[in-house]
Amino acid sequence: MRPKVNLYFLVALISISALSGLPACGQAAGGGEGGEKGERTLTILAASSLTDAFGELGQTFEEQNQGVRVKQSFGSSSDLLVQIQQGAPADVFASAAQEEMNTAVKDGLVNGTPQIFVKNREVVMVPKDNPANIERLREVAKPDIKLVLAQKDVPAADYAVEILGKANAQYGDDFEEDVLSNVVSREADVRASVNRVVVGDADATFGYASDYTPDIRGRVKVVPIAPDLNIIATYPIAALKDSKDPKLAKKWVDLVTSEEGQRVLEKWNFEPAA
Amino acid sequence: MKDRGKDAPPRNLPWGDTLASGLAVAALALLAGFISLPLISLLVWMVDKGAWRAMASPVAMDALLLSVKTTTITMAILLVVGTPAAYVLARADFRGNRVINTLLDIPVVLPPSAAGIALLLAFGRLGLVGQYLDVFGVTVSFTTAAVVMAEIFVAAPFYVRQAATGFGAVDRTIEEAALVDGAGRATVFFRVTIPLAFPALVAGALTAWARALGEFGATIIFAGSFRGVTQTIPLAIFAEFQGDIDAAVALSVLVLGFAFVVILAVRYLTARTGSYET
Repeated sequence: MRPKVNLYFLVALISISALSGLPACGQAAGGGEGGEKGERTLTILAASSLTDAFGELGQTFEEQNQGVRVKQSFGSSSDLLVQIQQGAPADVFASAAQEEMNTAVKDGLVNGTPQIFVKNREVVMVPKDNPANIERLREVAKPDIKLVLAQKDVPAADYAVEILGKANAQYGDDFEEDVLSNVVSREADVRASVNRVVVGDADATFGYASDYTPDIRGRVKVVPIAPDLNIIATYPIAALKDSKDPKLAKKWVDLVTSEEGQRVLEKWNFEPAA
Repeated sequence: MKDRGKDAPPRNLPWGDTLASGLAVAALALLAGFISLPLISLLVWMVDKGAWRAMASPVAMDALLLSVKTTTITMAILLVVGTPAAYVLARADFRGNRVINTLLDIPVVLPPSAAGIALLLAFGRLGLVGQYLDVFGVTVSFTTAAVVMAEIFVAAPFYVRQAATGFGAVDRTIEEAALVDGAGRATVFFRVTIPLAFPALVAGALTAWARALGEFGATIIFAGSFRGVTQTIPLAIFAEFQGDIDAAVALSVLVLGFAFVVILAVRYLTARTGSYET
């Protein structure tokens, strides 16, 4: 029976590395050389909303630590959690929600205690020409609007649904149902759902304030959500138990939580954790 | 033949032949094992974890129904439009023939995700064609029609190319004989040309259908993913993989079984028709 179990694992691993663009053999090679100064690799799995901020911090990290290559894979936190559970080789996990991190802790996949490193808030995004004329959250419930959400279990989408539930108290009991009946597509992660608005096919989507990046500002408009209805997303970060280089993993967490790291995150529209 | 003798290994040494055929058989076994092992793993996981229950889930049923529906429409359109197109391609000697042949090769080599982006930029709301459609209140994004368009885009070349080859192989003198006998052009096409090219048409249709069934990249980018509307089986597998791996396995087995049944049915039907016709 043993070989069979290994077989599943192999199949799962191959498909995971194929899906996430993490070449499994490349990882193994990088990890093997972990002890040497020459070529060290730090692998980070991070929520897709962190793409730009972590991209910039990755460069900083490589400059500060000569001979280290930072490899990052961005996806929905739920997707990344599955990858970690299936044994994807990685050093650090940065989630857009507590829930995924709590599961990782419960499954014994995390080294130490996760730290909240940043906050984010949800906004509604519409195309610049705003074809459905959405100026307020309430108008997302108008009939025949093409609304795109990230997939179920993706934190950005779960927060959105939570916000709709809260808004029922103000906008009437049917509000959440009306909005959800406008959904025409569920995307793999929050960045994909924002891109539906960028290309103009969706009339609206829910994303994070930090997803309103400079390169899409010419094509997208933000409709803020009132603070009493909004949900503040808290992002936890932790080194992973399977890390081949725990010291390096801790260094990354330290950079992200440092003043410098916080400044970069703020630059990308995140809010400081403290 | 004499020249070949110089470079090729001596032909009459039996151990060389034995070695060569042994290696060929080993290669075949390796390939067969490589293809069957993952399929077996799917089945083992499904039985082991009781994942088969997820097959009857509403998500799986909606996805299967949508896949059946969209691939059927795709094939109907392909047969009606692709068959005469292939005939013209095979028979007419016009100047653009080469260009069109090359054009038809592009969707075959283009990664489907790139095809999805291309379709989006053409038929999306702000797209090259889409912006005019939008004026008339026609939107294709996020509709089942968009799924069919993605499937036709990637699958059409497979049918048209094979059908054209089939038509090209039909002996023209047989068609001319029928014309001399007083049959109309349409009658000759349907009664003579099509039956003679039939095996090629079926083979082409089967490849195109398989390609349409497996379509993922172009669909998820161009049509989006929504249960019952645009979420075909491959998209449902991807969506489930992010949450419930058992459901993803069940869907994979479901589509495996479905493809198997269709291949067997087509083999059986064409074997019968083939012997009938010849």
